[in-house]
Amino acid sequence: MSLLKKCAQQLLEKTNLSSQTIAATTSAFHTSPICNRVQAGRYRVTTKRNRALTYEMANPPHYIAHRKAWNSWNTSTMLDGLRSSQTAIEDLFMRKFMTGTWHALIVSEVIIKRQHNMIRISAIVRQAISPRKMYFLIGYTEELLSYWLQCPVTLELQTVADKNDVIFKYI
Amino acid sequence: MYLTSRLPRLYVRTAQFLGTSTSRFNSNAGAVEERIEIPNRIQRSPTDILNALASTVGRDPTAPHYKYHDDPYLIPMSNVGKRTFAMSQEAGRKAAKYIRDEHRDVFMHQEAQPPIEAFAPKMIFTEDSEVNTDTLHLLIRNSQVTDAVIVYNLLKQKGVEISNDSKQEILELICFYNNEEPLPEELIEERWFKANADARERNRKTWKDGELAEQLFQELEPKTARSYAAIIRGMSKYFQAERAYALLQEATEKQFELDTQTFNAVISVSNFLKETADQRWELCRDLLQQMAHQQLRPNLGTLNAALEVVSTFGNFKLARSSALKVLAEFKQLGIEPSLGTYYYLLIIFCRDRAPVSHIIVDILHELKGREFTIQHPKDTFFFATAMDVCRNHLHDKTLARNVDELLHTGNNYDLIGDTYKEAVYYRHFFALLCQTEPIDEFMKVYDLLVPNVYIPEPGIMEEILKAVEMNGAVELMPRFWSDMVIFDHTNRESLLTRTLQILIDNPPNNDLPAHQSLPEQVGKIALDIYQKIADPEGRRPKDLQFSGKMIGDILALLVRSGNFEKANEVFTHIDKNQHRIPGTPSENCLQEYVNACIENKAPTQAIVCLQYAVENNMDAQPIAESINAGFTLNEVHLSKVKSLVGENLVGK
Repeated sequence: MSLLKKCAQQLLEKTNLSSQTIAATTSAFHTSPICNRVQAGRYRVTTKRNRALTYEMANPPHYIAHRKAWNSWNTSTMLDGLRSSQTAIEDLFMRKFMTGTWHALIVSEVIIKRQHNMIRISAIVRQAISPRKMYFLIGYTEELLSYWLQCPVTLELQTVADKNDVIFKYI
Repeated sequence: MYLTSRLPRLYVRTAQFLGTSTSRFNSNAGAVEERIEIPNRIQRSPTDILNALASTVGRDPTAPHYKYHDDPYLIPMSNVGKRTFAMSQEAGRKAAKYIRDEHRDVFMHQEAQPPIEAFAPKMIFTEDSEVNTDTLHLLIRNSQVTDAVIVYNLLKQKGVEISNDSKQEILELICFYNNEEPLPEELIEERWFKANADARERNRKTWKDGELAEQLFQELEPKTARSYAAIIRGMSKYFQAERAYALLQEATEKQFELDTQTFNAVISVSNFLKETADQRWELCRDLLQQMAHQQLRPNLGTLNAALEVVSTFGNFKLARSSALKVLAEFKQLGIEPSLGTYYYLLIIFCRDRAPVSHIIVDILHELKGREFTIQHPKDTFFFATAMDVCRNHLHDKTLARNVDELLHTGNNYDLIGDTYKEAVYYRHFFALLCQTEPIDEFMKVYDLLVPNVYIPEPGIMEEILKAVEMNGAVELMPRFWSDMVIFDHTNRESLLTRTLQILIDNPPNNDLPAHQSLPEQVGKIALDIYQKIADPEGRRPKDLQFSGKMIGDILALLVRSGNFEKANEVFTHIDKNQHRIPGTPSENCLQEYVNACIENKAPTQAIVCLQYAVENNMDAQPIAESINAGFTLNEVHLSKVKSLVGENLVGK
């Protein structure tokens, strides 16, 4: 129910004017659902305190430009920036593609930087597969993404032995 | 004066003041004409700045090649690794290309203006495709042989008029590639690693007789000099020597004016036409005279083709004299030799069974400080052959260093060819240096080049170890052992034996500072080797087995490094597996072990050792004596010793 309606309902209760509305619901205002809250990018504390968070996950979005940097770097949002919507969609596609191709291997966020006509994709990858297979995936990803996005794509990966290395804290 | 002319009227007073003051000082200068010479504009190409920047940066020997991803996990550490990583990356690219061509309907979008063709899926030509001569021209220009042939057949089927020029073009394309699709240019890794296969098939005829190229040639009416040229060159390239020569004769009979390239092609295969050196030389001269008759100017290709023929002569005296004649004549004509020419000279003069020739000294003197570009396919063979000559023929390290210097001047490194030739080059270089240089100098080169530029093969590693042995430089052994583990050389028995030999024969000298941590490291190496062989870690049982000498050395080394328990373990292994170990440990090793047993108060072990010695018919006497001297044996032990070696020895 909308906030206004709730308030009205509570007030009307006092004046005994609409018994029907009272009969329909008897919940008090203080337990009504909250819809105006910030909840983006924040992780709830668990009872067992075993939810692992990376540094990026641990810092909520209001720390961007303070303790965090952005994940997508391009000029589409500047004055006279071109292709902002296409860029955003392409970024979404690239992130899904990376997480899908490198199956359960990427342990950080995918950072996408556009410079001139080049796209640079960075991520931290686990050392779960042999280097030979990694090179195959690197060649495949770079080539396929460049066919899809019609510009040169380079991957800049960093490998990490254990996925616990990127965990910042447990919530 | 300059100031006064620039200042606006407001500052006239200051200007006047300045003017008077400066003119006071400059009165002696007089009327000096300051003419500013503006030089002419230098035309710059789009990449000139990049080239200039690149020339300031040489190869960084501490970093792997830039094609490898910059992460420690992804840097190759062995020759196999280098090859597999590069090839698997390229395989990934091929997979992406395949996906794009399979699902072409999804990849049809073109984001760029004007559209970039490289990103679009490849055109496929089926029977119903709409084609015209322009498509054919485009395909020929892009060297797509199979597609061009399909389109050509389609056009013929449809009865479209194909001009003679187009037919000539397609004939040239097919002759050049022998009707096979060439490796796409983008697959650089495959091209880089491809080397050997071509070299081995070098002299086999691969020309497709009676197939499309010849059919096209027949169909082409009227035949021109160009069509003859195309077919002759194609046949020569793929070693169909007889037909090429026959066609050449036919063309000259019909009074066609052929060109230099065609004659070059036939000269280079003329060694397949005749058997003996004299006949080949005759034929070569004949062809050159025909060229002169047709007033064709010879070029670098002619020079190299002639030398190629000469290099196939069996008679080395004739070869040498002919080569010099050829060289002199072409110098008169003003043709500058390329690295390929020098390559041929080297293989002509510096043969295995011929007397030693120092031509390379003259060659290097001539080439000193010069920069080369690729002018002939054989240019890339020069450096590897030069280093081979320095090592095997002349055994001279100064020459080798000169060759290396030449390789590193300017952009000459581009002419190293492919990975195979690079490896051959460095193999000879290393083998030569480790035999002729003192070990410190050699280690400088080793540190520079290994592991990023060159990784030694097991054979070269053996040479290096021999040099270490000769120099007694045992402090380098831990380093070499770790290198051998990284480069995957540890499954070679000869290398392991030699390593152990060096370690045994050169006990560390405690006075030298370099040897401080050496005993411990030596023990670790020995243990490492033991573990590698004794428990192959679940992989297939290695073909590697201990030999008696090896395991004896391991035992002694463990004893020396103070690791008595492991030594016990090793000895128990020897004892139990006597039947599997060919040979026996040397007596010195056993003696050292027994001494260690005495120090560590383990009489049982000592006696087991004695038993082993007796069982294997070794000279057990010194061992028995030392046991007797070192221990106060109890009854059981005494009786055992007596039973082994007899009364008289024990009594002492």
